[in-house]
Amino acid sequence: MIVEIALLCGLVLFSVAAIIFRDLLKAAICLAVASLLLGIIFFRMKAPYIGAFEISVVAGLITVLFITTIALTKTGGDVRESKAASWIFPLVFVVFLVLDFFVMRGLIGKIPALEATPEQGTFGEVLWKIRTFDLVGQIGVIFAGVLAVLALFRKRDKDE
Amino acid sequence: MVFLFIALPLVVAGILPLVGKISKKVLPDLLVNSVFVILLALVFFEGRGLVAQDAAIKQLFWFGEPLNIRLMLDGFSLFMLFAVSLVGFAISLFSIDYMDHYGSKANFYALFLVMIAGMNGLLLVTDLFQIYIFLEVAAVASYALVAFGLGQDELEASFKYLMLSAVASAFLLAGIVIIFGVTGGLDFETVSQGLRALDARYLVGLCAAFFILGFGLKAALVPFHAWLPDAHPSAPAPISAALSGLLIKVSGVYALTRVFLNVFGLTPALSTVLMYLGVISMVVAALLALGQTDIKRMLAYSSISQVGYIVLGIGLGTPLGILGGLFHLFNHALAKSLLFLNSGSIQMSTGTRNLDEMGGLGKRMPVTAGTTLIGSLAIAGVPPLNGFWSKLIIIVALVQAKQWAFALIAVLVSVLTLWYYLVIQRKAFFGQLNERWSAVREAPFWMTVSTVLLALLCIATGIFFAGTVNSWIRPAADALVKGVQTTLGSLGF
Repeated sequence: MIVEIALLCGLVLFSVAAIIFRDLLKAAICLAVASLLLGIIFFRMKAPYIGAFEISVVAGLITVLFITTIALTKTGGDVRESKAASWIFPLVFVVFLVLDFFVMRGLIGKIPALEATPEQGTFGEVLWKIRTFDLVGQIGVIFAGVLAVLALFRKRDKDE
Repeated sequence: MVFLFIALPLVVAGILPLVGKISKKVLPDLLVNSVFVILLALVFFEGRGLVAQDAAIKQLFWFGEPLNIRLMLDGFSLFMLFAVSLVGFAISLFSIDYMDHYGSKANFYALFLVMIAGMNGLLLVTDLFQIYIFLEVAAVASYALVAFGLGQDELEASFKYLMLSAVASAFLLAGIVIIFGVTGGLDFETVSQGLRALDARYLVGLCAAFFILGFGLKAALVPFHAWLPDAHPSAPAPISAALSGLLIKVSGVYALTRVFLNVFGLTPALSTVLMYLGVISMVVAALLALGQTDIKRMLAYSSISQVGYIVLGIGLGTPLGILGGLFHLFNHALAKSLLFLNSGSIQMSTGTRNLDEMGGLGKRMPVTAGTTLIGSLAIAGVPPLNGFWSKLIIIVALVQAKQWAFALIAVLVSVLTLWYYLVIQRKAFFGQLNERWSAVREAPFWMTVSTVLLALLCIATGIFFAGTVNSWIRPAADALVKGVQTTLGSLGF
């Protein structure tokens, strides 16, 4: 239990750090650490597939993409952020924590715990046989993403 | 065949970028418009028959093997599919001429079709998580479409839209996760039964709040509307029409209605919350619309206000209220798409969206002026146009339910609506012709065809409103009143 609480606290801390850091590189690394901790939590909660995805895709692949993009971006002080950004987030976060505490205190004990059932079939079976329709939607999202990149990074025709 | 509503737009979207390499304009135009003709034919010949047979949920088969894809087609989804296909067709006709100057037309069409596939998917799903997935399909395509012009404004509006939409998705997902946690299922029916058996009022209340926030953001109800007045005007005109005419209704109003009326069940508390949200949206957005000088921004605020009417009608929860809400949804889809398309015609001819710079355009663009007048009067609720009947039904339903205050506000906001639409007419089309616009000409052929088609539909729906209500709206309202039908059919794919 203590390990779980420590992992969850770490997850929240690194997520907050990812938002607070002004340096994009540090923020990206904090996000990667947060995803890594989340992956470990998934493993400990006996959800190895989602844990593996979280660590390989979010902590691994996406971090590489972020860092590559940051490396390709020119540094320049022309974008100035409003000062409000530095205090609004901590304020909202604290308010959220307080609200969350009261809501959860009211809910704990009232939520009926579902019986722990063994997972239905293997990962492949769940994905292909039980959630088949989700795959159609996933294809749609991937299509939309690819087409968005094609459309937004298009070269303007000469006659325009 | 029902699966074609999702598969056809997706497949054509997949091949369009390749087709665009062969033919930049003619083939993509032809393909997209034929997709909408086929979708309309499917609605009329396949959908109506299936709904008449009461075969609400369909299991798909692939070479005799059952696939775990179940689609639900009842009166409500069919009615929405009809609205999407009809308005989508008008928009694709309009885009033939309008999108020429943007370049990369095939990619535009492909994104548009993915958005349509996402909306159609959302209209046919049977479980909560699938609602989330198809909501995202339509949303991801719409972010790119809003930014399609690649200007500073477009990119900024798209980013703002993306951020607020992500917040909406996060709340929806949180709601879905909690429901899955307590009921052990995602299927509408399982969840509905699970929630009834459960004695956890606070938890259900929390989920309902998350869903109201999420769908309210998608439907741009006040106070969740901040993204819409930026996103809708910045998009190319056909996309403004699709967003205001279709997307906020499908991913906001439809999903909200489906979840609350068919899954959660409309409790008195929920009904009150929805009605208040509807009335606040109606009043605040109408007042904000009055102060606008940008024609598209004014139309965007008007969309928020009219969605308020729809939510008020549906939130009332009486059969007549639901009927009026759904009828207004259809009428607003027609009229608002028409008005956004016309704003595109004006912008293309004059290069401005500022109402103060226009004037006397009616002399140079008589068809656009005429169709705008029809659309404006339809939304404002002037008889015998379609908007009059739907607003009348909503107000009668409110009076029947003894909600006098709401009925009075609905009438007053209708007057406000007429006011700001007359401001558009006066500033843009009437008065002395500004000399700058002496060389302005009427919109090109296909753009005019599309707007005239929508204007005729507004008139026809108004004059033959009894027929429209009986054949499309009543089955939809009945499906909502009855709840989800669970007749299992086994139709081949």
